[in-house]
Amino acid sequence: MSSGWSWWVIGLVVFNLGVTFCLFVWAPRARVPTLPDGTTGHVWADGTLREGMHRLPRWWIVASLAMYIMAFGYLVLYPGFGNHPGTLDWTSGKELAAATAANAAKLDPVLHRTAAMDVEALAGDAQARRLGERLFVDNCAGCHGRAGLGNPRLGVPNLTDGDWLHGGAAQDITTSIRDGRSGVMPPWNSLGEQTVKGLVQYVLSLSGQTYEADSAAAGEPIFKAICTACHGPEGKGIAQLGGPNLTDAIWLYGGTQEAVETSIRDGRQGHMPALGARLSDGDIHLLAGYVHHLSARGNSTAR
Amino acid sequence: MAYRHFEFIEKHAWTLGILTAVMVSLGGLAEILPTFVEANRVKSTAGGKPYDPLRLAGRDIYVREGCYLCHSQMIRALRFETQRYGAFSTAGESVYDRPFQWGSKRTGPDLARVGGKYSDAWQRVHLMDPRTVVPESNMPAYPWLATTRVDGTDIAARMRTLRMLGDPYTDADIAGAAGAVDGSTELDALVAYLQGLGVARESEPARTAAAASPTIAGTSP
Repeated sequence: MSSGWSWWVIGLVVFNLGVTFCLFVWAPRARVPTLPDGTTGHVWADGTLREGMHRLPRWWIVASLAMYIMAFGYLVLYPGFGNHPGTLDWTSGKELAAATAANAAKLDPVLHRTAAMDVEALAGDAQARRLGERLFVDNCAGCHGRAGLGNPRLGVPNLTDGDWLHGGAAQDITTSIRDGRSGVMPPWNSLGEQTVKGLVQYVLSLSGQTYEADSAAAGEPIFKAICTACHGPEGKGIAQLGGPNLTDAIWLYGGTQEAVETSIRDGRQGHMPALGARLSDGDIHLLAGYVHHLSARGNSTAR
Repeated sequence: MAYRHFEFIEKHAWTLGILTAVMVSLGGLAEILPTFVEANRVKSTAGGKPYDPLRLAGRDIYVREGCYLCHSQMIRALRFETQRYGAFSTAGESVYDRPFQWGSKRTGPDLARVGGKYSDAWQRVHLMDPRTVVPESNMPAYPWLATTRVDGTDIAARMRTLRMLGDPYTDADIAGAAGAVDGSTELDALVAYLQGLGVARESEPARTAAAASPTIAGTSP
């Protein structure tokens, strides 16, 4: 604030306090003319309502005066009187920094403890799981769901089934959270409708679903020539590339004939955002522990 | 000052009204007027760039649909807000918002730094029907956005108006606006707008907290 505006604010504050001070001095002593019956002579409704006259109660004056004096204390201690910063040197930024530091002091012992644990151990630690769950609900549940069951609408993987697109080792999970992941299945409609249908039947055959043998036989050489680059020679997936395993019953976008056909014809570009810029390494570590817990718990209940 | 002066004020409604207005305005004159007049000193933190045409269209759709009624774009300087949403909002981030979208009520979460938190596909599905991705959500669905096209000539006109108000659009920007939004739906525009929110200034508290935190087990430096 420029000094001109500073003086503007000071002027307004002084004016306001001055007017209030005059009222304090004058009001208790004001002589108000009254009629012999003690009313002011102001009448309404043909004299049915008459305005009485009472002095301000002492408690009211004392309370108001206390607040008035506090205003001076406030203007000395805190910013408000123009550019005067206040003797306490308070700013909202400093208060935030203090609150953040106080919270960090509370959390630091816990974070030191969890940082020293590996991801598998975090999954077995109740306190780490509670912290991880908070972070999961706020940052992951939007896509993976609160229970981590995923969403076939977006190709969001189920985290509880023990199956991993990019690997389930601690380092893999941490990398997925920190740097994000992008699916890169290209559209194959350029191969022609007949070829796509053949590929669909061959893919269905890989996971043991019902399929048309002739069509699948036609699709097999094309699969071996193209699809194996990401899905592996036997269609079992390549974790380094994020190529899904096509031989199991786990599907990102659904395993029906229609869903598989859409995936092959139009491609799939699922995208997991990187959380590295939003979360600290300590938070990501806790999240990795919670995700590991989800998958381990999912496995044990499945059996 | 004698009682008769007060009696005069009390008995003349206009005088009473004007003097009341003067006293009531003091707070606003002290708190609002100086920052209002000095607002032109606030510089954009988004690298001095106003909204590109598609995001500008998205912003206007955001306003039209009343998103601000349930979502704020104002992270306050409070620990529990910066921890959840990222660095607190600054005046420089709202320079190109007319009107600003700070909002005053949060039925849904704050959106000031939502850009990049979800994928584009998620934003689309979520706007079409929020329940398909967040079963607990009570946000309305906005399916008509997918079928309505953005009007390119309209966007160019809006950019010219904003230039009159001081936004640094060049002639080339305005000439290219219609082409930039050509074929886009309102859904595309709104998603582009949302994905740009807060991206120019990434959350700093998370970074500083990371620097202070100890080495993590299992990660090689």
